[in-house]
Amino acid sequence: MKRHTLKAAGVAAAAALALAACSGGSGEADPEETTGGEGGDDTTPVTLNFTWWGNDDRAARYEEALDLFEEQHPNITVQTAFVDFPNYWTQRSTEAAGRALPDVMQFDLSYLREYTENGHLLDLAPYVGEQIDLSGFDESLVESGVLEDQQVGIPTSTNTLALFYNPNLLEQTGIEPPAEDYTWEDYNEFLASVTEAGQTTAEGQPIFGGADYTNTFWFFLQWLVQEGKTPFNDDGTFGFDEDDMKEFLGMAEDLRADKAVYPVDRGIQLLPLGGFTVNESASEFSWDNFLAGYTADSGTENIEMLPVPTGSDGEKAMFFKPSMLLSAGANTEHPEQAATLINFLLTDPEVGRIFGTSKGVPADEEQRAAMELEEGSVDARVVAYEEAVADHVTEPVPVPVKGFGSIEAEYKRLAEELAYGTVTIDQFVETWFAEAQMMTQ
Amino acid sequence: MALIDEATLTGPRSAVRPPDQRRRRRRAEAAAGYAFLSPWLLGFFALTAGPMLASLYLAFTNYNLFASPEWVGLDNFTMLFSDPRFIQSAKVTGIYVLVGTPVKLVAALAVAMLLNNRRRGQGLYRSVFYAPSLIGASVSIAIVWKAMFIDQGIVDKIGQSVGVNWGGWVGNPDMTMPMFVLLTVWQFGAPMVIFLAGLKQIPAELYEAASVDGAGPVRKFFKITLPMLSPVLFFNLLLETIHSFQIFASAFIISGGTGGPAGSTLFYTLYLYQRGFQDFRMGYASAMAWVLVVVVGIITLLFFRSSKFWVHYSGEGK
Repeated sequence: MKRHTLKAAGVAAAAALALAACSGGSGEADPEETTGGEGGDDTTPVTLNFTWWGNDDRAARYEEALDLFEEQHPNITVQTAFVDFPNYWTQRSTEAAGRALPDVMQFDLSYLREYTENGHLLDLAPYVGEQIDLSGFDESLVESGVLEDQQVGIPTSTNTLALFYNPNLLEQTGIEPPAEDYTWEDYNEFLASVTEAGQTTAEGQPIFGGADYTNTFWFFLQWLVQEGKTPFNDDGTFGFDEDDMKEFLGMAEDLRADKAVYPVDRGIQLLPLGGFTVNESASEFSWDNFLAGYTADSGTENIEMLPVPTGSDGEKAMFFKPSMLLSAGANTEHPEQAATLINFLLTDPEVGRIFGTSKGVPADEEQRAAMELEEGSVDARVVAYEEAVADHVTEPVPVPVKGFGSIEAEYKRLAEELAYGTVTIDQFVETWFAEAQMMTQ
Repeated sequence: MALIDEATLTGPRSAVRPPDQRRRRRRAEAAAGYAFLSPWLLGFFALTAGPMLASLYLAFTNYNLFASPEWVGLDNFTMLFSDPRFIQSAKVTGIYVLVGTPVKLVAALAVAMLLNNRRRGQGLYRSVFYAPSLIGASVSIAIVWKAMFIDQGIVDKIGQSVGVNWGGWVGNPDMTMPMFVLLTVWQFGAPMVIFLAGLKQIPAELYEAASVDGAGPVRKFFKITLPMLSPVLFFNLLLETIHSFQIFASAFIISGGTGGPAGSTLFYTLYLYQRGFQDFRMGYASAMAWVLVVVVGIITLLFFRSSKFWVHYSGEGK
């Protein structure tokens, strides 16, 4: 009897723990009790839920902007929530499963297709020209938020890739930064020579040229575009094959073998910082709106930007990535108020001033104009960069396939294993394609 | 719970059949009992049993949270066993359970024996040693642990001061497992308290008699303490083993949810979480959950089967 009871308890405990891992995550989804479902008039009090991903700095800016919004629209109250990027999607997906998405949310291109195919996002087209004024927007940018003939999102801003470098470290090592027309091979040489200089920081840490640039999926896409390939076809298939990925990963193979790139084990321990932001790595590829974060984290204003390397046919073939889309949940009870909020965040000049380039260069003309571009400020430099590289921007952004977020994460995970040497390039590519096939089906 | 069952069930059965009136009163009592239980029962069926059944169904489907589940039969299960990361997660968790649990129990028993002697400030010592158990599973401790074991962290510095240059453990795939084992061993307080209670139950006469017969401390430990403690040891072993399979929060925090570096901290539950909530493959994740239920169930069963060879209940006359 005694044993039997204990046994049952043991089995039950085992079951409970296994399933505990399956629950949780949707904690703050509960939509505030709202009134006035008609939504038409301006006097019924309405509460909107609004979520975004980002850090404290972004939260402070949003709160400032929303205070302004609530002042202008006394009948609308905005309930906010924010979290970091990976957890953001965990929360949204659980909400989507329960048809309880926020009224308005920040959205990313990577996940747009999944949510649209299953009808989770509101078609904003009927509100454009009514609540939403897109007259200050570039046509192609508005178009990037259209899927299945629905305006499921509208981008707040644009990003493009850039090479950031730290002139202080280069001066110390005595290496010249790459010239503007540098190629991928030139960049390899640059990385190797900075590392070979053998300089150390004040704390005695060796200075490296940069991280392994093949470790980021978007750089692979940028390279594919340079090679004249369309990464993703409209039917969801890939415009590249195993050999393309092997070739790209192989470009930095010698650097990895010679330990000329920033060591992965140290990089992991520095998270959420990185070699570049602790001033131990002289260069890094990233999105241009990262400049604000880089100067804040590294403590130096002296960070320069260059366009991406030139491809094999002499072109840089860059693209503007529409970012920080705003979308409304299809389940919203207040579509018109949601559209009003979206319009405010997209086009109000004051919002443009509050955010600067921290979400990328604003898509709306008036918001761009409203930014206080102090000479040499972060905002001014990001805007200047996008203007300077505009001639190189000749390609449309690769439109992410369904499951993009997952295949991007898988690429990053495998890149870490590659850096540790626990997989070979061949195993990397084989695993990635097997996983990608499952995740995009 | 077990004791109550025996007392209440054997009592009325052996008694004479109660008259109708009493039986009715008993039934009314039972109804009241169930009424008081109902909040718990409701929670159990709505929040535990229901979701478990749902996940059992989902384990045989493709379900991405967005579209309706699609029946795929045993596909998820067959896929599991050819998934290298599943094998990796099973391996990582297996090593953790096999190494972490015994080391933790040995530490708990050793400290319990030290604390079993009467001396001043004993209450304070017990509380101090128990404290890590209370906070060990928290997010903050995982963060502190990570800070201790990174490059130039306190552990690295201690290593350097004694001439060992092991660097930061967090970024070294070979050193992450020792780091997690240390984290669990450090939380030996809970089994220690149970061991202490067990040690107090051992009659002093046994030791006195053994002393008279000339037994030394080692012999007393193996011939008296261990056998007398075996039910408690069994309980702790079972509980800690199941507990070890549960490791999630600390691994999630220390690896930033990735299971890295190089998959060395890809614990089973972490991989399950990744599949379910990062890749949105709920069917696959549910299949993993049920494999874990079955494995832990089998291990529990084996423990109970083996217990008759080494666990001595004082009432059984062994």
